[in-house]
Amino acid sequence: MDSKDFAGFLDLCDPAFRYAITAYIPEIRKEMTWLEQDKEGMKLLFDNLPRHNSDHSPLSRHITVCIVDQDEAKQQAKTISTLQVFKTSLDGGATELFAVGKIYDTVALNGDAPKLLDRNIRLDTRMLGAGYHIPF
Amino acid sequence: MSRNEIAWKEQPKFPSTHFVDTRIYTDEQIFREEQEKIFNKCWIIGCHESELPNAYDYRTFSHPGGAKLFMIRGEDMKVRAFYNICPHRGNTLLYDPVGNTKRVTCIFHAWSFNAQGDCIDIPRSKEGYQDRYSSKDAGLREVKSEVGFGGFVWVNVDDNSGTLKEYIGDALGMMEENLSQPLEVFTYHKAIVNTNYKLWHDTNSEFYHDYMHYFNRITGMMQPGYFDRKYKGYPGGHASVGSMEIKYDAYAGSQERAVGWPGLAPGGWVLIDLFPGMTFNLRTSVLRMDTAIPLGPDKLIIEFRGLGLKSDTPEQRAERVRDHNTIWGPFGRNLHEDLLGVHGQGLAMREKSDSKWVLHGREENSTIHDEVGMRHFYAEWGKRMGRPAYDPFGDNKLG
Ligand code: FES
Ligand SMILES: [Fe+2]
Repeated sequence: MDSKDFAGFLDLCDPAFRYAITAYIPEIRKEMTWLEQDKEGMKLLFDNLPRHNSDHSPLSRHITVCIVDQDEAKQQAKTISTLQVFKTSLDGGATELFAVGKIYDTVALNGDAPKLLDRNIRLDTRMLGAGYHIPF
Repeated sequence: MSRNEIAWKEQPKFPSTHFVDTRIYTDEQIFREEQEKIFNKCWIIGCHESELPNAYDYRTFSHPGGAKLFMIRGEDMKVRAFYNICPHRGNTLLYDPVGNTKRVTCIFHAWSFNAQGDCIDIPRSKEGYQDRYSSKDAGLREVKSEVGFGGFVWVNVDDNSGTLKEYIGDALGMMEENLSQPLEVFTYHKAIVNTNYKLWHDTNSEFYHDYMHYFNRITGMMQPGYFDRKYKGYPGGHASVGSMEIKYDAYAGSQERAVGWPGLAPGGWVLIDLFPGMTFNLRTSVLRMDTAIPLGPDKLIIEFRGLGLKSDTPEQRAERVRDHNTIWGPFGRNLHEDLLGVHGQGLAMREKSDSKWVLHGREENSTIHDEVGMRHFYAEWGKRMGRPAYDPFGDNKLG
């Protein structure tokens, strides 16, 4: 994703892939889903990117896998990782912390290669400046 | 032809109502005056009643005039607003943005207050104050508040202001039916942008920037009738833009529109801008509410709320959430573009950047790409400030 190889990213996803960015919003004491897509929806989102006006500052997603929980029977693994997203400005290259959170992944292990089945980006950060068009 | 310095600063070839001097967006003194003459006089949305559903629920609010406030629902279920400051040594009373408390107790020396703003306890009062001072001298500063027009909690820090109804006038008439059922805030987020609050409100007052949004270029703008939508100005600087049908299915991924909104035609869109920085934006199945809270001439917090009906089923709510966030969430398609726009204006218009004019010159019979919405706003702004927006310091030597 950092290198914007979206086709490459989707190749690593199962056909039943689901993606969501969620957060708890304490001000209104509610759960929120900020982005929710299936594989088709993600592809559309990526395909439409060049048609939108967007912040072009590149992101670096730093992911540390903390817990891997393998379910032999289901042939799946669930992982929990911590996420830090940094944004680097094109003019001058200053880097700022953009968002922190956790990633909850479910990986299908029943095929030739592991495929991402479900990804929930669970954000702690809710103040995201002007926002961003590319998911984390 | 490009222009030299003299030509760049020359008065635009419009009547003076059709351009503004960019110093209104950058000048510190003007901003201080706006806090005093505009924000401290106008009714401002502090939160929504659904954020305080139970007795003793509270919600804090940074008022754009500068005061820190909190709104709290009393035992009598009435919402009241107070300064979030302890009368003793000026401490913040409520630190969390939201909560529930029967007593507001200051963490410093434990003075405590009820939800009516009465001081109900001063520890060791008699020992320290004898008969010179007591809890009845220590009530909180209450601020006028009213709940209305869709269940929003409005505040006015001016004790001598008129009523909320007088302030709004007929401006929300077009949405009367749309706001007739109890609403609920389902999403809330803030953005800080280094720009002037009026530039955000301007963006919400002009649709000519459809060109910035891929989504709008292929939905609304392509449709017959789009260019017939009309602006209507109301006294007090408020304005509305009427409904239309939007061809959502032109944007892949947003075809099915089932939930809708009471009183809104399928594919309709109603937008109402309230002076000085609040926008009701009703589209698809969602009411979006923006509140612009300036922190300085070039720093702005925008509060974004998405609302549905209190009576929503989980399925209906999920659809509203999707409709809202696809376009207007932090990862939405349009909000990012709108925020990039005002961010760019904030970069370009700075003191010493030699910006000079901003043009509001489009006239198209008050239809959608006419810039009459902004002109209407600045007429009210000039009146309240006692300064014309086209010549705020009286030194432009206009012809
Ligand atoms: S400052 Fe609040 S009790 Fe002293
Ligand atoms: Fe916009």
